[in-house]
Amino acid sequence: MTTLTTWIVTLTVFQPLISAAIIALLPQAEKRLVRGWTFLSMFMNFGLTVLLYGLFDPKGPEFQLEQRLQWISDLGISYHVGVDGLAVSLMLLTGFLGPLVVLASWTSIENRVKSFHLALLLIQSAMLGTLASLDVILFYVFFEAMLVPMYLIIGMWGSEKRIQAAMKFFLYTLAGSLVMLVAILAVYFLAQPSGTRSFDYAAFYNSLAPANRELAACLAGKAASCASMSPLAKALGVYGPWMFLAFAVAFAIKVPMFPVHTWLPDAHTEAPVAGSIILAGVMLKMGTFGFWRYAIPLFPVAAQQMRVAFAVLAVVGIVYGAMMCLAQTDVKRLIAYSSVSHLGFCMLGIFALTAEGAAGSAYQMLNHGVSTGALFLLFGFLYERRHTRNIIDFGGVARTMPVFAALFLIITFSSIAVPGTNGFIGEFLVLLGTFKSTKVPMWLAVLATSGVILSAAYMLWIVQRVFFGPVVQVENARLRDVNGRELATSLPFVVMVLVMGVLPGFFLDRLETSTRRYVARAQVGLDVQQRDEDTRVTVLPLSSPTPVAALPAGTSDQR
Amino acid sequence: MNPSVTLALVTLAAPLAAALLSVVIPPIRHRGAPAAMLTLLGSLLATGAAGLLVMEDLAGRAIRATVPWMVVQGRPLGQVGVRLDAVSIPMLLVVCLVALGVQIYSVAYMHDEKRRSYGRYFAYHALFLFSMNLLVLAPDLLQAFAGWELVGLVSYLLIGFHFDRPSAARAAVKAFWMTKLADMGFLFALLVLYARTGAFSWDVALRPEVAEATAGLIFLAVMGKSAQFPLHVWLPDAMEGPTPVSALLHAATMVAAGVFLVVRADPLFAQAHWVQGGMLWVGTITAVFTALLGLVQTDIKRVLAYSTCSQLGFMVAALGAGSAFAGYFHLGTHAFFKALLFLGAGSVIHAVHSNEMKDMGGLARRMPLTAVTFGLGALSLAGIPPLAGFASKDVILTALEGKAGWIPWALLLATAFLTAFYMGRVLVLTFLGKPSPAAAHAHESPAAMTVPLVALGIPTVAAGFLGPWLARGLGGEMHLHLGLTPVLASLAGLGGLLLSLATYLRGREAPLAATVAALDRASLVDRAWAFGYHSVLLPVSGLLRWVDRYLVDGLMNGLGWGTLETGQAMRPVQTGRTRDYALAVVVGALVLMVLGAWP
Repeated sequence: MTTLTTWIVTLTVFQPLISAAIIALLPQAEKRLVRGWTFLSMFMNFGLTVLLYGLFDPKGPEFQLEQRLQWISDLGISYHVGVDGLAVSLMLLTGFLGPLVVLASWTSIENRVKSFHLALLLIQSAMLGTLASLDVILFYVFFEAMLVPMYLIIGMWGSEKRIQAAMKFFLYTLAGSLVMLVAILAVYFLAQPSGTRSFDYAAFYNSLAPANRELAACLAGKAASCASMSPLAKALGVYGPWMFLAFAVAFAIKVPMFPVHTWLPDAHTEAPVAGSIILAGVMLKMGTFGFWRYAIPLFPVAAQQMRVAFAVLAVVGIVYGAMMCLAQTDVKRLIAYSSVSHLGFCMLGIFALTAEGAAGSAYQMLNHGVSTGALFLLFGFLYERRHTRNIIDFGGVARTMPVFAALFLIITFSSIAVPGTNGFIGEFLVLLGTFKSTKVPMWLAVLATSGVILSAAYMLWIVQRVFFGPVVQVENARLRDVNGRELATSLPFVVMVLVMGVLPGFFLDRLETSTRRYVARAQVGLDVQQRDEDTRVTVLPLSSPTPVAALPAGTSDQR
Repeated sequence: MNPSVTLALVTLAAPLAAALLSVVIPPIRHRGAPAAMLTLLGSLLATGAAGLLVMEDLAGRAIRATVPWMVVQGRPLGQVGVRLDAVSIPMLLVVCLVALGVQIYSVAYMHDEKRRSYGRYFAYHALFLFSMNLLVLAPDLLQAFAGWELVGLVSYLLIGFHFDRPSAARAAVKAFWMTKLADMGFLFALLVLYARTGAFSWDVALRPEVAEATAGLIFLAVMGKSAQFPLHVWLPDAMEGPTPVSALLHAATMVAAGVFLVVRADPLFAQAHWVQGGMLWVGTITAVFTALLGLVQTDIKRVLAYSTCSQLGFMVAALGAGSAFAGYFHLGTHAFFKALLFLGAGSVIHAVHSNEMKDMGGLARRMPLTAVTFGLGALSLAGIPPLAGFASKDVILTALEGKAGWIPWALLLATAFLTAFYMGRVLVLTFLGKPSPAAAHAHESPAAMTVPLVALGIPTVAAGFLGPWLARGLGGEMHLHLGLTPVLASLAGLGGLLLSLATYLRGREAPLAATVAALDRASLVDRAWAFGYHSVLLPVSGLLRWVDRYLVDGLMNGLGWGTLETGQAMRPVQTGRTRDYALAVVVGALVLMVLGAWP
């Protein structure tokens, strides 16, 4: 049992990578074999994430199922993985989408099948690793590793303007993460005394937290505390906002927040269906996850100084994204912009600093992965049949493809947050948290609510335009309804929409501790004393007694 | 478990099971008939359970059985379950009864549909009954909101049932979107309540301004769902749905949910006097305005639709006058007689294959059963004593006595006259007079359709006598008295009917009808909404799209371009010749030396 709990995270993260190595050995021509093997691997991976989710104890400590091994000891880098409630939930989502993505591209990808599935498996490992890392360098490596396979997926298997879109995606994201790397190094050198430096997340957080407290107390107007501030707190007062921004920009691009969202519509539109699902389903959440795990807890003071600005950007994203949807003529672009709108809710919940808001934000991350993933998947079926993305080319599809229409309609209801679907729980919790919050102005919450009604406008419009009315174009009259494989791919989404909508407790349970800790850590920036909440990050100690970086130079070689 | 709670759960579980089975097992839906049977069975069980619940003594009793839902940080945000008291149980019975009647009727009415569509239709019906009961039994406002949204959803599905007809698809979207717009009020109310009280309960004492705000916001949603001016425009268009759907959702139950919600949340509304004042006027204006429009419609279903708006206006006005009982009572009687009227209209439409009254006429002889039951419904609606409609309308008018300088009272009395007048017109154009060519070969509908008509005829006549029972349950009393109001109300009803018969039987038009018809054609309210959507929202979106492409994205592309250009501009510096670099080093060193020597 202990072996299992020690190795389960590592196994989950690297199992797709190992499967990818086996794919590399398969012959190029054996397309069925490649697809089958990838599906099987992904399905096993899903099983592993389910196991992981089950092993995670909602009542247990914050970080569980940890594993920590020596890695580059001279620099204080260890191989350290483990999960908290949010990470384990997002890993479950990643695992859930994995096999479905393979099924979704079963017939739509015909050239370079082997490389495609190789990329899928690589990206799966990278995403899981990003979520499971508890060492900042490890996190950064996985975070960057997601980029290349996704670049290839868009650039090689996308539609007409794929090269441009892939390049835009790559440059945007890379620019952001390079800035973040600078900030990571800055924390490493600034916050920790030389000799004990470590890239471990716990070391990062625990070394910054006292300084953040001092700074917050000083800024809260306690003059005495300003005088006795440590040098680190003073430094944070000056550089903190910049370091926060460096993290925030990297993650904001990933989310994406307004105004750095413009890579998203291009990437989504040009990507093959698998790329869109992965991108919307999981990769965007790396941005919100980054805010939750890194940007805000590490720099709570700076985050609170810029809280209103970010909340405004989140609400602009909600309304602006929804308005953009109303003006689109391309179905995939519309779904892409709806992502901007939905992710705005996540960001708003994160910045509302209430338990409801944070829990809603986390729930919304899961929701969006399911609902938007499903929208891209379903539209992918239609695209495969008609090879057009123009809204005006459709009409009357419900007549020729009734089952497909029913599936799409259910996902639509989830997307417009009808009670009984998952979308309602997430958006409602975020709005509750924002309304209750004393930290975010009320009018922002009011404006955000208009996003709900705008989403009804554009989703109903597209449903009416695509599915209802008479069949005008001949091509639409000959469409065949979803086949068994397509039905099997989409039904899990529908089931998740309903289960998450009716029984939210099952998923909210795992998020409790993470939510509480996140809010407490973010409130450090407000000089709020959390009496019963220990914000310190407690993790496994490294297996060897002292980090090697602490030893005198030259001794590490003889170890 | 408490047996009453078990019964209440049956009213939820039976229709839900029917809906789920029809959806999950495709053959049930595809064959059509099994889905219909399943739905009927579910409704029958639900109706039986509701009937047993009504047998119990209601006065002063309230049973609550709930489980926590949406637990955040160990605290449940809401409760789901059932609340059984004198408010929920009568409504439960009304909903189940009318639904059962309408579903039996639909078995024959929808018989010509394709089998797949037939199955889908009944699955929707089962889902509707579940959602409506969910709303009716709600223990707090959160579950009420869930039910509220779900009935709106089913309404969308059923209005758009014939989705390949563009007008039906448009009407469905319009109905959903307009009610959803109004529902934002409900959502805001929930948020405000939660922020203030940490719960979603309607019976808490609130600070006056909070109570006013919450009640006002909920009332916005009520205006949408119960089609109050100026949000009423979706309801006439909703007549695109199959006629039994119009009877159940868009006349008897779903549109009345708004009124029910106010009755349900009476403790909250009783604290909000400004909102009540507003409701009084909104209800009155709606009643008058839509009754006028009802006078000039040529489509029989649209007459009834406007009449529904108008009667809902009566109920809302009563609620505004502070009499929850009056509004609730009229809701109940209206549910029966309006469902009857719609089903009767459906029977006629089924026979002549047209909604237009010019294609009807003289049908009394060919369809006697339909004519008699429809006539009873019309008389009840017109407020002829002692039919049910008279009893409840009288209670409303009595409640309005002396309110706001008697003006709403006077206006509604005039509306009662108008109501009788337009129903007289419908009676003449449909059942009396000369038959049109289409009507000449009509014949009576099958028993599956006429039996529900007859069944609904009983409460249409007699439901008025249940008034005192209902009043006692709500903790009040209903007095029968012979005052000014009942006399005037009876006179208005009788007079309107007689005048109307006199006018239309002689082939004349009512005075002012041409003006009202012009007003109807102008459809100002509709256009205002259309303007808001097409000329404000969409152009702004279009503008933003331009901004996104050229300004926001342009800025980012500009950054990229700037980087490239800077690189290009710097290229000449890298000459690759050693002497150039040496020169640069020397110049740099000199500059540093000068800077270092500077004081």
